This record gives sequence, structure tokens and C-alpha cells, in this order.
Amino acid sequence: MNDWMLIGKNLFRKKLRAALMLLSILIAFTIFGVLAAFHKAFTAGEDVAAADRLVTVNKINFTQPLPIAYFNRARGVEGVKQVTHLNWFGGYYQDPRNFLIVMAVEPETYMDVYGADLEFPAGMRRDFITNRTGALVGKAMADRWGWKVGDRVPISSNIFSQKNGSHSWDMTIVGIFDNRTPRLDTNFMVFQYDYFDETRSFGKDMIGWMTIKTTSSSLNDRVAKTVDQMFANSSYETSTDTEKAFNKAFAAQFGNIALIVVLVVGAAFATILMIVGNTMVMAVRERTREIGVLKTLGFPGGRILRLVLGESLLLALLGGLAGIAVATAATMALSRSLANFVPGMAVTPGIVLIAVLLMLGLGVLTGLIPALNAMRLKITTALGRS
Amino acid sequence: MMRSVLLQIAAVTAMNVKSIPQRFWLSLSTVVAVALVVMVLLTFLAMAHGFQRTLASSGADDVAVILRGGSQSEINSTVSREQVQLIEDAPGIARSASGKPLVSSELYLVVDGIKRSSGTKANLPLRGIGLEGAAVRRGITIIEGRMFAPGSNEIVVGKGLTSEFAGFDLGATVTFGTTRWQVVGVFSADGSVFESEIWADLPVVQSLFNRNNFFQTVRVRLENPGAIERLRSYVENDPRLKLDVKSEAVYFAEQASRTTDLIQRLGWPLAIAMALGAVAGALNTMYSSVAARSVEIATLRAIGFGGFPAFVGTLIESLMLALIGGLIGAVATLLAFDGLTTSTLGASFTQVVFSFKLTPSLVAQGVVLALIVGLVGGVFPAVRAARMPIAAGLHA
Amino acid sequence: MPSDIPLVRLVGLSKGFVKGKETISIFERLDIAIPSGDFIAIMGPSGSGKTTLLNLLGGIDRPDAGEIHIGEQRIDGLSETELARWRAANIGFIFQFYNLMPMLTAAQNVELPLLLTKLGRHQRREHVKTALAIVNLSDRAKHYPREMSGGQQQRVAIARAIISDPKLLLCDEPTGDLDRGAADEILSTLATFNRDLGKTIIMVTHDPSAAKYARRILHLDKGRFIESELAA
Repeated sequence: MNDWMLIGKNLFRKKLRAALMLLSILIAFTIFGVLAAFHKAFTAGEDVAAADRLVTVNKINFTQPLPIAYFNRARGVEGVKQVTHLNWFGGYYQDPRNFLIVMAVEPETYMDVYGADLEFPAGMRRDFITNRTGALVGKAMADRWGWKVGDRVPISSNIFSQKNGSHSWDMTIVGIFDNRTPRLDTNFMVFQYDYFDETRSFGKDMIGWMTIKTTSSSLNDRVAKTVDQMFANSSYETSTDTEKAFNKAFAAQFGNIALIVVLVVGAAFATILMIVGNTMVMAVRERTREIGVLKTLGFPGGRILRLVLGESLLLALLGGLAGIAVATAATMALSRSLANFVPGMAVTPGIVLIAVLLMLGLGVLTGLIPALNAMRLKITTALGRS
Repeated sequence: MMRSVLLQIAAVTAMNVKSIPQRFWLSLSTVVAVALVVMVLLTFLAMAHGFQRTLASSGADDVAVILRGGSQSEINSTVSREQVQLIEDAPGIARSASGKPLVSSELYLVVDGIKRSSGTKANLPLRGIGLEGAAVRRGITIIEGRMFAPGSNEIVVGKGLTSEFAGFDLGATVTFGTTRWQVVGVFSADGSVFESEIWADLPVVQSLFNRNNFFQTVRVRLENPGAIERLRSYVENDPRLKLDVKSEAVYFAEQASRTTDLIQRLGWPLAIAMALGAVAGALNTMYSSVAARSVEIATLRAIGFGGFPAFVGTLIESLMLALIGGLIGAVATLLAFDGLTTSTLGASFTQVVFSFKLTPSLVAQGVVLALIVGLVGGVFPAVRAARMPIAAGLHA
Repeated sequence: MPSDIPLVRLVGLSKGFVKGKETISIFERLDIAIPSGDFIAIMGPSGSGKTTLLNLLGGIDRPDAGEIHIGEQRIDGLSETELARWRAANIGFIFQFYNLMPMLTAAQNVELPLLLTKLGRHQRREHVKTALAIVNLSDRAKHYPREMSGGQQQRVAIARAIISDPKLLLCDEPTGDLDRGAADEILSTLATFNRDLGKTIIMVTHDPSAAKYARRILHLDKGRFIESELAA
């Protein structure tokens, strides 16, 4: 037997009470894990954005278009390594409710700009550039719909229509790409701008936005200013910013998600702090006589303190780790259904680390008062022998 | 017999309740736990309800919204000049005093604004409306300034928009890209979604945004709500009009449902998860309560009190704590959040300003949840109290 | 046979307690010497200070004035931590209501004092086996207190008290809760410790037949030793 066994035996003396406390801690940490994973995925756009990429949009609003002539002009700016242009397609597959992320892009430059984050092997590059109706589909999207290279799929748009009146564009999947870093979203697809522009019924020669890769991220500010200067005072003024800033601003439009997460998690933790804290005080008070006996046997006050703190820490760790495990399972189950909204929702090692720190904090806070009480207990009072 | 049972119940309940101060902190923690659960639930419900209310009250039955067939929202729609002219000839449309059909062809664009609360960028709707634009809608009143003059760079803004986003006060000059506009009026629209919009003269918007001869939606005031059927068959019978005709009420209801569904699908599971935690806490408290009074309970039973009064007394104690917690949670939500305005991204990718709205029916849902927590948290300890072996209790 | 060297020496011991505004004295300037190897029974009416005396001897309470010497060590000035360490090595306590840990087995209860030593797991186990054998409870090693009779629990408590080989055994009404048969068993075990192992034992009791197992009986009344007789 050792101190930890003593701690364990004390904790599980009243099995029902221990189970109830473990359950409430478990629930609080499940809530934390799921919400933290949600928040992290929601703001992922910020984190995984490459440092050397800028986004150029219409200054009025990013939903307004830009002329395609801007593309070549931007390429000439000093400090620019490569530029590509993209159009939001408003895609869906078969049913308007099957919303897809689809963009019409300039194929070669697109793969250049995003090649550091996404894998485009040489064969895939060639096929995409040479095939007019070809499309590249990200692995997550291909998995979801069961598409393979060579499949012909009709992709519809809820914004655009073809000159012949149809809303559907036939595309051939010439490649399925994967990401180089795990958190990057691959639930989207790209196809040739030319195919799109030649067949659409309105908006000809207009692009949605440009993504610029700079030769060095230290040049970001200078390049951004130059580009915007170039198009100032025209009918289509631009606003250029880092991809990171752009994604962050977009996420912020939904509301202060971080604040909501913090408030809810805070409420859950305040609850367990009160419940577990009070129960620990009560449980230790029930053991007053035993603490007196231990002290009589010669256990010094400091060791008694550690025994009680050990109990609250053990409780917090057991309940907390179980809660994180449940959160991981729940997140895995949810991530598929929320894939369009928050791609890649997962309980990351970083979240687990924060959770463990919270567990340690919770353990100390709930155990501190009873531990101090136990340490300071006068033996004669404890034994009822004054 | 009945009277005796009731008296016993009253005695046990009074004993239980009077002894709560002995377990003050533990009982308080249950009250706080339930209060927090109810607060979380009601906050989400108030959010969803407020959002829905804004959109639902935006739609009139006798206004039809006409969009390109298959468009899910105004921003995705396109309507040509020919189509607009054909619609002006359609049956079922109400007429203005001067005999003109109440038809407003409109453009719906997105411009940037700055949210006051966070200082970050936000998508705001700029709507180019026709001469009949305000007349087609219900409940529009200019509360400050005046309506914009046709052909000018003047805009009017909804009062919700100017309160949430910076730079749109009366008299201010606003820049969208290279174009400059002046705010000449603020309008109210009965709390509907139009209060989150900026309105300007359609031809001016078309020319300044390079959208000449381009329209996105047509709004039509109907003679009466039933007239929509006539309008719809007219449109369906003309192959040049591949358009969807919806009453405004239906249109906004569809827009609202997606967001409110999301909020509710987040709020309920969260509240239920927290409620489970509160139940664990309540069980803990009540089991402790029963254990602490085991001598008293056993003594009463030795005297001749039945098990049932002990059961009821314990249950009432639990329900009472939960009810107090629930009411505190409801009041706290009311004070903290009711009427708070905020905005989020709506279906057209633009900000919708709405306020948290708590109603008695929502509060009732919160209280019911609290009582369920109190019930589940109390029933098992209550059974233990009722079945406690008398001898064991006396020697506890 | 008790030696001439005193194990316990009290010099000018004073202790009182506060009641309202007054301080009521339990002892004032008490002096006594108890030789090593002695077995003393202390008897007296309630309120005479027997329990307080035992507390002071065991270092679980502090005197208001005076000196307490146990062996070579003067304990009245030690800090709490020092007292704890000293107690673990030198004192064994036996209480009226056994005071065993309900969630530990007999063997685990007996092992508790050894957790304060540097002994390894195997050594601790050996010591426990020996101690349980001495009190004849080897077959109950894995039982919990609630599964044992009062007499058996007290024997576990005795094993726990002697496992660290203390200089002094302090017993507070050790048979107060036991029936005659069990009481006799406990008392003869204590007598055996004293006779064969030379342990010094101080026992507080109100039961004259229990006191007969000791070598000497001291009567304590109003804080003074009024009589000292040899046990029959």
C-alpha cells in the first residue's frame, strides 16, 4: 500500500457519490472539448492560412467582381511570385440542398499558388491544365460523394446559368488532391475559368478575387499597398490583405463565437467547481476523526494536505480525461455532418493539453480548502477528546 | 386517512426545508447549477426566437417576391428588363392612387460596413429600389430626415443598421468604392429585417455599380393575399418567365429557418448536457440531505410515519431547490440578454440585426427543464428516504 | 521488571481549559516519574484529567507550563512536525473505539505506521505479517473492520500500535467497548507485551478488573495523584 492507494480508497469510499462527481466533471469536460474543437475548426482559416498569401477583393465588398484584366497587371508587381484568380460558383450537386464549395480558377497559376499546401503531382497538373472540362476535387469531397478520377459529374450553380439556359455544367474529374498539412480543408473543388466564362450567360470577363503569393512574407505590406494603389480611383477599386486577416474577418461576421464558447464553458466549470468543491469539503469533514488518527500515528500536516489534494486531483483527472475521450468521440461523429460549416473539427493535442491544465486547476481549487482544513485540524478536536 | 397522510407530508416537508441551512453551501451549489443550465438554454432560445421574429415579421402576406427560378436568395437571383415589363402587366397586382401597378424592381448588393461592437468588417445590404419601393412594403416610416430624391446619390438607412454599424448617422457621407453617398434619412420598418438595410435609388445604383439594365428581384404588392395564385399561374404559363413567385412571408420564413435551426440545434444539446451535470449535482445534494437527516427520518418512521411522506418530503425539497434555480436563471437571462441587439450573417451573406427576445413560453420551457432536473435529482434519494431501514437510521 | 531509569518524567506540568471567561485548571504543577518497563493503570472520576494526561504524554496536546520528558527527549517544546515524527517512532496509541480506517483491510490498517518509514514494500509486508501473528489475527489479514468483532478490531489496533516498536504504549479505555471475554484477551495481550517484551504501558480505565492486569494503579483526582497502589 502507498499514499496513492490511500487516496484512491478515500475517493471511492462512497461509490455513488464518487460516481456522481465523476459524472459532472466528465460532462463539463465533454462540453469543453466539443466547443473548443468547434471554435478551433471555425477559426482554422486563420491558423492554416499561409503567411505569404494575400487576397485581393473588390473594395466595396468581396461579393463584388473585378475585371479579369487585373490579373495580368497584378502579376507585374514587384514582390509578387505568382497570382491566380478565382470565382465563386455557388455550386450544388443534384439537389440545391447539397451545397458544394466550387470555384472557377486559372488552372496553372492556381496550382502554383496553393502547391505548398495541397499536393498536385505532375500528372495531375498536366491533366488539369490540358482538359477544358476537367475538375480537381479535394479528397474530403471525393470521399463524401464516392467520386473517382475519370467520373463525369454534373455540377449545378444557384447563381449562374449557361447561355443555353441550363444551370448545370458537366465536368470530368481529372484528379483528386490531398492536403500536405492535416488541418487544411479538402472539401472543395476547382475547375477551369475558361470553360466557365465562355459558357455562362452573364458576368463575362469578370473574376471574383485574386490570390497573390509573395516572394517573401516580409514584402506583404508593400505588395498589398502597390496592388491597391494600382487600381485606385478606377471603377473597380481593390482591397488587398493577408489571407489570414481576410479569413479572420470573415469568421468574425458570424458573431463573437469565442466569447460564446468561453461563457458557456465558464458556466459549466463554475457549476462543477461549486458542486465538487462543496462535496469535497463535506467528504473530508466526515473523516475528521480518521484524520486525527492519522496525525496521532505520526502523519505530518503537510502529508495530510497532500493526501486530500491528491484526492481532488485524482477526481479531476479521472473525470476530465474521460470527458475528453467522450468529446473526441462526439466530435468525430459531428464532424461529418458539420463538414460544410466547420471542416476538420477535431479535439487536437493542443486542446487536450489545455484540458489537462484545467483539470489540474480544478483539482487544486476543489481540494484546497478541505486540504487546508485537514492540515490544520487539532488532533484533540478531531478525536473528540478535548 | 387522507388527512393524516397530508399532515405527515406537511410535517416532513417542513422539517426538510427548515434543515436546508445546515447544508447551505451544498444546496446553494444545486441552485446555482440549475440556474446556469436554464440561463444557457434560455439564451440560445432567445437568440433563435429573436432572429426568427425579425425575419418572420419582415414578411407580409400580400407582398410577393419574384426571383429567378431556383435562386435560394435575392443575391443569387437575376431578372431581365423584359421580364420586369411582363410582370408589370400581370393580374392580381394592387395599384397606387395614380393607377400605376405597385411593382418595385430591385437590386441587392453587398457593401462593407464596420460593426460598432467589434470594429471588424461586416457585409451590409445595399438595396436599389424603384419609385414604388417603399410603398410596396408595409410599415415603412421615415423617423429621421427624409426619403432620398430619385436620381441622386442619397441613401436612407434602417434604424437597426445605424445602431449596429458605424458611419451611417444622419447627414454622414458614406463611400462605397469610389462612389460617395449621403445619408438623408433613417427609417423604421416594424423591427423587420429591412431595418438592417441601406436603400438607394435603383437607376443610380445600377449605373454606379456597372449593373445597367440588370435587376435581381421584383417585389409586388398584391390586391389581396389570395391574388398570389393568379400571379403565379400567369408566370408559370409564360415560358419567358422562369421565375419563382413567393409571398414575402414564406420567403423570409425559409431564410430564417436555416439559422434558427442551427442555433436551436446547438442550444438544446448543450443545455441538456449541462442539465445532466446539474442532475448529478442535485443527486449528490439530495443523497447528502437524506443521509444527514437519517436519524430524524428513522425516528419519524419509528413513531409511525409512513414511508410515503418521507418520499414526498424529499422530492419537494429537491423540486424547490430546482425551481428557485430555474427562476433565478430566467430572471438573470432577462436582465442580461433580453433586448440585447446583435447581428450575424444571414442567408444572403449579409448581416441581419436582431435582438434577443425572451417570451413567457420560452421561460416556461426553461422552468420545465429545471423541474425535470429537480425531479430526477430527487426521486432516487426520495426512494431511499422512504425505504430506509428504521434501525439503521436510528443508529446512524 | 521495571528498571530504575524513568521513561516518563513530568515536571511542574500545568494544563487548563477555557470555559467562558474563566480558565479552569486540570492540573497544576504535576510531577511524576514512570520507570521504563512499567505497566500503569490510571483511574479516577470523569473530569479528573486522565484523558488530558494521556494526550500530553503522547504529544497530541500541549501543556500550558512544565516539562515532559520521554526517554532522552523533551517534547513540550517541539513543533507540530517534529512531534509527528517523534510520535511515529516512539508512541503507540490504543483507543476505546479502535479508530481503524473502515475502507482498509486489517493488514492495510496495520501497515499504516510503516508508511512513515523508509521501509520497502517487502519489508513492510513482513512486519505486518509478524504483527498480525503476535495478536493471532493472521487469518483475518484481508478482512475489513466491518467484518470483524469488537475484540478482533481492537487486536488489529494493537498490532498497528506496536508495529513500529514504540517505547511507550498509551491506552485509553481499551476494553471500554468489549465484553468480558474479549476484554480479558486484550488485557492479557497487553500484559504479555509488558512482561515479555518490556514495553512500558500506561492505561486509562474506569474498570477495576481491567486495572488488575497492570503492575500499579494510580488514582487521579482533581489533577493530583492521590493514591498509588500495587495491582493485586
